[in-house]
Amino acid sequence: MTDAVHAKPDDRTLVRIRGLTTVLNGKTVFNALDLDIPRGKVTAIMGPSGTGKTTLLKHITGQMRGDAGEVRVDGLNVSELARDELFALRERIGYLFQNSALLTDFDVFENVAFPLRQHTKLPEVLIRNIVLTKLQAVGLRGAAPLLPSELSGGMARRVALARAIVFDPMLILYDEPFVGLDPIALNQVLKLIRTLNETLGITSVLVAHELEAIKHVADHIYLIANGKIVAQGDPNTIASDGSSWTRQVLGGEADGPVPFQYPAGDYAQALGFKQGAA
Amino acid sequence: MNTRVDHGNSVTQSLAQIGACGLFLLRILAAIPLSLRHVRETVRQLWFVGAMSLTIIMVCGLFVGMVLGLQLYHVLAIFGGTSASGSVVALAIYRELGPVVTALLFAGRAGTSMTAEIGLMRATDQIAAMEMMAVDPIAYVATPRFLAGLIAMPLLCCVFCAMGIFGGHLVGVNWLGVDNGTFWSNMTSSVDVWQDVINGVIWKSTAFGAVVSLIAVFQGYTTPPTSEGVAYATTRTVVASSIAILSLDFVLTAFLM
Amino acid sequence: MSQRKSYAVGTGMFIVLGFAALAYLATQTSSIANNHQGSSYKVDAQFANIGQLKERAPVKVAGVRVGQVQSITLEPGKDVADVTLSIDNKYAQIPTDSVAIIYTSGLLGDQYVGIQFGGAKTYVADGGHFGLTKSTQPLEEMLGKFLGGGGAADAIGGTYTVKANFTNVGTLAVGAPVKMAGVAIGSVASVKADPVKLDALVTLDIDKKYNQIPDDSAVSIFTSGLIGSQYVAIQPGGSPNSLKDGDQLVLTQSAMQLEDLIGKFLVNGSSNSGSNAGSNGSSNSPAGKH
Repeated sequence: MTDAVHAKPDDRTLVRIRGLTTVLNGKTVFNALDLDIPRGKVTAIMGPSGTGKTTLLKHITGQMRGDAGEVRVDGLNVSELARDELFALRERIGYLFQNSALLTDFDVFENVAFPLRQHTKLPEVLIRNIVLTKLQAVGLRGAAPLLPSELSGGMARRVALARAIVFDPMLILYDEPFVGLDPIALNQVLKLIRTLNETLGITSVLVAHELEAIKHVADHIYLIANGKIVAQGDPNTIASDGSSWTRQVLGGEADGPVPFQYPAGDYAQALGFKQGAA
Repeated sequence: MNTRVDHGNSVTQSLAQIGACGLFLLRILAAIPLSLRHVRETVRQLWFVGAMSLTIIMVCGLFVGMVLGLQLYHVLAIFGGTSASGSVVALAIYRELGPVVTALLFAGRAGTSMTAEIGLMRATDQIAAMEMMAVDPIAYVATPRFLAGLIAMPLLCCVFCAMGIFGGHLVGVNWLGVDNGTFWSNMTSSVDVWQDVINGVIWKSTAFGAVVSLIAVFQGYTTPPTSEGVAYATTRTVVASSIAILSLDFVLTAFLM
Repeated sequence: MSQRKSYAVGTGMFIVLGFAALAYLATQTSSIANNHQGSSYKVDAQFANIGQLKERAPVKVAGVRVGQVQSITLEPGKDVADVTLSIDNKYAQIPTDSVAIIYTSGLLGDQYVGIQFGGAKTYVADGGHFGLTKSTQPLEEMLGKFLGGGGAADAIGGTYTVKANFTNVGTLAVGAPVKMAGVAIGSVASVKADPVKLDALVTLDIDKKYNQIPDDSAVSIFTSGLIGSQYVAIQPGGSPNSLKDGDQLVLTQSAMQLEDLIGKFLVNGSSNSGSNAGSNGSSNSPAGKH
């Protein structure tokens, strides 16, 4: 912690991660990770399952704290912030959950209006206009009276996106936005991410596996494995990079740096073919 | 599975649960000022845990009163004391059956639904989403439900008792022919407002309401966010609430009487 | 939006219903129904024995509630209890020489203070004092009066004596009434253990008026009510010959022990109820008919 909790914001980098080390249940998730997320760009974070991509997003929002190192968002050291400062920061961050996380008790309109009602005392007319604008942006203004249970996966994700942008955040974090979408819905979401980034200048961070989809939106890709960045660059550089990591993670080879076998004891011994077996 | 190893044997595990539950209560109470901003949510929960439980409470209250009237009539008839049935029905309901049965029903009806609802909210990341929208989930989810349970229980218990008296009257007076005036006058002369209605009905049921909703919210909030976890948590809510209600009943009876 | 309003309305109705139920319980089914609301004045009374009198117990005149017991204190060094009565201002005209008596409502009921009016023209005021009081009477005394007084036969025309042997007389005492068809016709003269037969020999003094009792009548020991004391009941037989002085009654039924009876009710099984428990099956019903 060389700097104070509130450092001057960097005008090129929105999120700056330095020396982040996290150990969860005895397993090292991040090992002195350094990572920068530039302002106004779409950054994708890729990597094999279980490498802590979602955990990384949680560090950025302060839901989890690392064991060492620091995470700065707009100059603020997230892990050192008091609770209300953290909440104030979160109001400026949109987060799109993998399963949309819409509140099941409320209809679509109320879901999108929820942050507004919680944090502002705006008149009902204004809330209505803001919500309808955001719903229009994701193409679901007509779905306002529906309940979350009546939505398809793609629609639910678009509603969640409308909710995430209702405060016009400076940063949106997308946790696996493409999982379980049909090609049409996938392209709709892709288009939205791109549009939001271009028209509003919102910095976007994407966690995803789908290289083809990411190629269309991302300006920069980080490839994380074993708690470190193993490759980075723009989509074309990454795709043509011949390292074993990129080949396996992006090409989907079954065996490689990520082993097919989960770590286990000696096979023959486990089957009782060797002496000393129980 | 391997997390279970860390928790040690079942005794320390339950102690840890009780401790965690106590700390959770402090968090809930600390969030009360914050949750005043969500009064509407408390009202909504009051509707779900209170108003929606009315039917079962009323029906059960009626039948408990009726069966009490029937049983007591036959026992009292042996001693020629059927005129006392009004007071015995009232005292039995106010002092024990009302608060305890209401609390058990409340745990089964409202407690489980609270646990399941919160558990599912965790499983579908709704709690995390609230955190991300800078809404304190304790203040928005846990505290309103706790307060709703705290408010609803004594009200439900009053309704239960009133229905019980009505049921006892129905069987005793209308069916078995105890004199109407005797029934009421015996009741009014033996029931004391402070001892029976306030101490017996109100304080006991408020305490039970607090315990049941604390357990329900705690179980929902701390359960592993999987469908199995929610199922287990729901079961644990009923088991833990029942044990807590009956043991607390003994302690309260010893102190309040 | 309409959805939200319906919650609010429904919840409001629920709360109103709950409080209505509470108000009903508190006012209609409890002693508050008898409680005064208006202002009151206080009067002291001293009792030698307050028995089970409690604070907030009713104060009654002619059986109508006029107030309640405010406090009960025992002054150190004294052997009388100071009882402060709080009486409704409506009932301000109570003569100063009235008597405050502690009564029990029914045999098992709670105790209350009854005021019997005197004849004085002056009335007790706030802070006043009832000089004449009558303390609670222990149950034993009352039972004694109950049985000894009104229960016994007058025996003006003299008595004749009959004897009966019982395996168990329970708590039958000398002086207990002898009843036929519920009417006292005599009393128990003596209860002795028979050294030869090893049972109880009870001598009954029966009024000479009742000299037509068949000599094969059955004699039983019964209990008056649940906790009342025991008496001897004669159930007439069919013999043409009447009982004479010094006769022995053969058909006897001994006392049922309360413990046995209660045991039967509670356990609903066979207990060691002695020789008189007819069946060992459901012993509930014969007891119930009694």
